[in-house]
Amino acid sequence: DEVRVEMSESGVQLFARLEARRSLKDIEPALFPDDGGPDHGDVVELYGTEGTGKTELLYHLLCRCVLPQDAGGLEAEVAFVDTDYSLDMFRLVSILDGRLSSSAHLAGSGDSVLRSCLSRLLVLHCSSSSQLLLTLHSLETSMALRPGLALLLIDSISAFYWLDRCGGGASVTKQEELLGKCAELLGRLLRDYRITIVATCHAIRRTSCGPSSSSSSDPNRPYLCRLWQRLVTHRLLCSRQESTGDHVAHRQVFAVHCTSGKKSNRSSSFYVTDAGIMFI
Amino acid sequence: MVVLREGMCPGLDEDLVRDLRAAGVKTVEDLVSSNIEELAQKCSVSYKALFAIRRVLLAQHTAFPVSGADLYEELLSSTAILSTGNPSLDKLLDSGLYTGEITELSGGPGSGKSQVCFGVAVHISYHLKQSVIYIDTTGGLTASRLLKMLQTETSNREEQMEALQRIRIFRLFDVLSLLDCLYSLRSGGLQQASVGGGSVKAVIVDSVSAVISPLLGGKQNEGMSLMIQVAGVLKTMAKDFNVAALVTNHVTRSGSGEVQPGLGVSWRHIPRTRIQLEKVERATSVSSSSLRSATLIKSSRQACHIKEEFDLQWWSRSKGGSSGKRKLDESQL
Repeated sequence: DEVRVEMSESGVQLFARLEARRSLKDIEPALFPDDGGPDHGDVVELYGTEGTGKTELLYHLLCRCVLPQDAGGLEAEVAFVDTDYSLDMFRLVSILDGRLSSSAHLAGSGDSVLRSCLSRLLVLHCSSSSQLLLTLHSLETSMALRPGLALLLIDSISAFYWLDRCGGGASVTKQEELLGKCAELLGRLLRDYRITIVATCHAIRRTSCGPSSSSSSDPNRPYLCRLWQRLVTHRLLCSRQESTGDHVAHRQVFAVHCTSGKKSNRSSSFYVTDAGIMFI
Repeated sequence: MVVLREGMCPGLDEDLVRDLRAAGVKTVEDLVSSNIEELAQKCSVSYKALFAIRRVLLAQHTAFPVSGADLYEELLSSTAILSTGNPSLDKLLDSGLYTGEITELSGGPGSGKSQVCFGVAVHISYHLKQSVIYIDTTGGLTASRLLKMLQTETSNREEQMEALQRIRIFRLFDVLSLLDCLYSLRSGGLQQASVGGGSVKAVIVDSVSAVISPLLGGKQNEGMSLMIQVAGVLKTMAKDFNVAALVTNHVTRSGSGEVQPGLGVSWRHIPRTRIQLEKVERATSVSSSSLRSATLIKSSRQACHIKEEFDLQWWSRSKGGSSGKRKLDESQL
């Protein structure tokens, strides 16, 4: 019957689940340590304050994913969970346009290629941790049915931090309960469906409580719940590079520092153009 | 969290809710996260029935996935760009305020934030014939002020009154009233506020920092949570009802003395676009008291730090007179 069919897995689905999922190791070689790009089951966290290029970097990775191979993309599908309500479709399209028109094979191919890129993107808006948790549960069905879906973007994973902090009252366990449940579920989805996750995390202002050692006063120390931290395999720390004077006038340069538990670190820098970011 | 209640979906009756509660499953989140097979045994209900309940609850409470291609088509047909009426500001904003987004004006006292808001409200209601919600949290807005601005646009009294009617004013002086107001606007009040044929195209909050900044610093969790709630309802309202949100914010100085927008790092990423207003001080000119500079400090459409100078009198200038607009050359920056 209908219900059972949904639960069981056909051989084709099992194959899709385990074999065909695209690896994102090569999503952006400039960003990650050599041979250390995010693979199946890896989680990349983009961390930084406003104005440090996080969004541009996120859109860059998104575009690399959905662009056709002829334009240097991976031709993979992406689910974008927009918890900040900040997805800027016009910006995304202008980056895609820029990438498509600079590719020799596709120049002048018109709207159909752009449309096919955009149809590889699935957008979901969430306005609370509880809705995020339920939405991630429902995404499991999409993952099972779409072997092309390789990347889950969450912008941002810290969106409900303050709401949960306040809603949970005095108990830290209660405050972190929902994000913890989301992290547990994500852990299972990463394992079962071999996807990759990229999530942004906004910096927050810390209130320094009492005399603290130099390590604990690091403003970039992770602050989200442990269960989430444990999933993160690559952390990209974004910052604004103070003008050095040796670049083209008025061009803001952004720096990214990648730390990955498994492999060595890597630093890179980029600037923003109409057609997306350019690595230096 | 959504508490499980009988009748939420077919099959979820009183007995089952009680049994689920006894098994420690009190909310939709609990039910969705639990092992349905074990839970069905504990509550002596069929696996099939419980699985169907889970599926319906999920469908009821989750975000609906939309294809990027469809979303783009929809945005192309629904997004409007509202001119502010001031060419200098329109230039920074890439032709005006975009519906679906939050635009912020930040600046110190006397930098002209409120005056710009008045001008934008009058322009949208009189020239664009659309309705505006104006939430005044500082007590700075008076009807006579708006009328004066309208009188420079037209001498026709009927037109003036029509334009005034299209500006719906709320005076609120604390964050809870602001949240109440925004929630009720989002749940239907926006459509009701549409008068004279023009639908509501802009929601102005002047100032958002006046009601939020007193909350910060004390009980941090509560203040931050209220701030994020204000941000959330503004964003969802802007997006779901396709209105432009314009908010004003104060400025603070960073440790190194740099002027920066107020309300801290967690607010900073909320507006899509931010313009910083400053008074232009010039010893040479006598009549420069209404001269302001506007700098684009955050944008996804234009290069930042473009600067324009404009006269606050622009909106109330006598038509045909000399333009108060002056441009700054890039090299002067």
